Amino acid sequence: MTHSRLWRQYFTVVAAALPPARGMLPLVVLLGAWQLLQTGNSPYFPPPSDWCNGLVLLEKSGRLYPALLATTMTMLLGLAVAVVIGAGVGLLIGVSPRFSRAVGPLLEFLRAIPPPAIVPVAILFMGYDERMKLTVVVIAAIWPILLNTSSAAERIHPLLLDVAHSFRLSAVDRMRLIILPSVVPAILLGIRIALPLAIVVTLLVEILTSVEGIGALMIGAQRNFQSPQVYGLLVLIGLFGLFVNSVFAVFEAILLRRWPPKAQSENF
Amino acid sequence: MECRSVTVELPHRFGRKRIIEDISFQVRSGEFLTIVGPSGTGKTTLLRVMGGLTSPASGSVLVHGKELDGPPDNVVIVFQDYSNALLQWRTVAANVAFGIERILDRTDIEQRVRDALALVGLEKNAEDHPWQLSGGMQQRVQIARALALRPDVMLMDEPFAALDAMTKASMQDELFRVRDRTGTSFVFITHDIEEAVYLGDRIAVLKGSPGRIDQVFEIGLPAPRDQLSTRQLPQFLEFRYAVQQAIGR
Amino acid sequence: MDERRFFAGINWPGTAVFVLVGLAWEVVIRSGLLEYEYLPAPSAIGLGLGQLAREGTLAPDIAHTLIAVAIGWTVAIAVGISLGFLLGLSPTARRYSLASIEVLRPMPGVAFAPVGLLLFGFSLKTEMVVTILPVLWPVLVNTMGGVSGVHPRLYDVSRTFRLSRKDTILHVILPAAMPPIVVGARISLSLALVLTVVAEMVGNPEGLGYGIVREQQALRPDLMFAYIVTVGFIGIVLNAGMLALAETVFPSSRQLRSPQ
Repeated sequence: MTHSRLWRQYFTVVAAALPPARGMLPLVVLLGAWQLLQTGNSPYFPPPSDWCNGLVLLEKSGRLYPALLATTMTMLLGLAVAVVIGAGVGLLIGVSPRFSRAVGPLLEFLRAIPPPAIVPVAILFMGYDERMKLTVVVIAAIWPILLNTSSAAERIHPLLLDVAHSFRLSAVDRMRLIILPSVVPAILLGIRIALPLAIVVTLLVEILTSVEGIGALMIGAQRNFQSPQVYGLLVLIGLFGLFVNSVFAVFEAILLRRWPPKAQSENF
Repeated sequence: MECRSVTVELPHRFGRKRIIEDISFQVRSGEFLTIVGPSGTGKTTLLRVMGGLTSPASGSVLVHGKELDGPPDNVVIVFQDYSNALLQWRTVAANVAFGIERILDRTDIEQRVRDALALVGLEKNAEDHPWQLSGGMQQRVQIARALALRPDVMLMDEPFAALDAMTKASMQDELFRVRDRTGTSFVFITHDIEEAVYLGDRIAVLKGSPGRIDQVFEIGLPAPRDQLSTRQLPQFLEFRYAVQQAIGR
Repeated sequence: MDERRFFAGINWPGTAVFVLVGLAWEVVIRSGLLEYEYLPAPSAIGLGLGQLAREGTLAPDIAHTLIAVAIGWTVAIAVGISLGFLLGLSPTARRYSLASIEVLRPMPGVAFAPVGLLLFGFSLKTEMVVTILPVLWPVLVNTMGGVSGVHPRLYDVSRTFRLSRKDTILHVILPAAMPPIVVGARISLSLALVLTVVAEMVGNPEGLGYGIVREQQALRPDLMFAYIVTVGFIGIVLNAGMLALAETVFPSSRQLRSPQ
């Protein structure tokens, strides 16, 4: 298969998954109406054109890109750590029913604590710095990954394990060749769910503590009553989230092309 | 291969239930032995014991005179549920190589995979994934995987039960071809009496609860067997009748 | 006989681990083995809860948060179910709005906090701004999916019995779509709690969320954890309550206990 054919295949997959573009109509109408109706200089509802100016101003002041970078890096790094720990523990839980029962209630209790509530705890323990931000993102993002991995590991078809037994696989080989590949779709699903969570928590920390990032920029703009910038940054965050999610969707589709299609299905 | 007075008990709701009792028989080299019986008599359990996946409560299974200690090297199981017995994320070739990839070196592996695929007629599908193939083809992948190990005995648990009649017929003949070319012995479980008579050199009837070997029939049908002509022979019908009677009683 | 089964059904090793961890935590802090300035012992958290209750701050905070959750959630499911229904029934409407929904859905609620503050300052309305939009999506998407996913055979049945449009919607579509709608409402409820707490942390200084932040800034970790535990507890109660309510009023929703 030539490279161009592969690319075309991937893009057809992605394009087919996207909703039709005419669905943007409500948003376009809303923004358009807003732009047209806001003639004066309303401090509360500046027109979309002002938002762009606000963002450009921010960019010129040199604060936009570093903030964007800070938010992105924290989010990605936090996710990466969460994947390693979450998938690891999830596998342990899924593979060993005894461990699962022992750790069960403890996990249920920890799970009930909403991630945003962890933020003040982390601030208290670790102060106002990058490390704290990272820790919170990890703690928040871990749950979907851990839960999805453990549930998939529990649900590996017993026949597959029979096959492993019948071919006399060592425990290591069994984990490496059978269990791990079986749970990859679940891990990816967990990441897909954890992605928006990571973004939310990162922003929350930044808004709460003004640690460097887009959230900090936003709350700073709000305190200075720079409403166009606030709206502009809001749109930026939306676009950012959209971008990250679509990049991951493509990544996931490429990674999962060897798995049967059922493994790629949407799960609420 | 031999079973000596094998009894198997498995955990049940309130204690242990005796699934099969006092099973004794031998599998001769190059023989096609079919095991029939009504469902629930422990046919699958027997196969799992022979394959080393379960241990008997009493009695023993011997291969070349040696007692089993876990899954034996030269005996392979082919499961009925091919979809969940294959590694769906690997290519067909990688699946076939699964049993031998830790034992042989690269050139040997490639050769064996090619041979196994040729035996089942799937050379062209080596780079496909199992989920892209039909049920019959997936089952052939599983058979190829088993063949790649060059086993002495192939244990098959109702392998064609999930296939349509035409695929089933062609797969049965494929097994004959494999047997003729490799000299492997087959222990074949089925609840389809006609299939048992068509394929088997001998038929063991398993019945009762706990399951016991009720009778063993020597099927003296001529070889090579053919879907059309063999099934018309009066001896075929007689054997079929006899086996059916043995089960029904 | 039922007692024996009940006892056998309890997760003994799990409970034991849970209790042991709690005890170990208590002992370790009390005995001074681990000096972690900001990690209170479980007993201290319990005492903190008692103190807050006695001071009379806990109850109003809980009330404030619950009221905010109630308002936000009610508005969200009212809008979500109605819109979801309309979109579910009309493929054209869906085609013309799905992309907008997909763009708006990932917007993090917390990002609306500065906007809320800008418009409404420190007030309940700010909490609403943060809460309503994100909480809208689970119930809207689920309603839309549930309604559009009603099996075509059911439409045939209603036509065979010559049901009016209104009756079809009321007696066929609504009950059939109930399970996913209920699941969506339940997810929205949990989300509403989380977002309300978030809004109280960064927006409106009232309620449980503000309690957490206030005690954190006052360097009172025992009280802070007391608030956190309260939030967790309320979350569990809300979720369980909604499950029980849903299964009593709409028994068909039992099919879909999602393992979130």
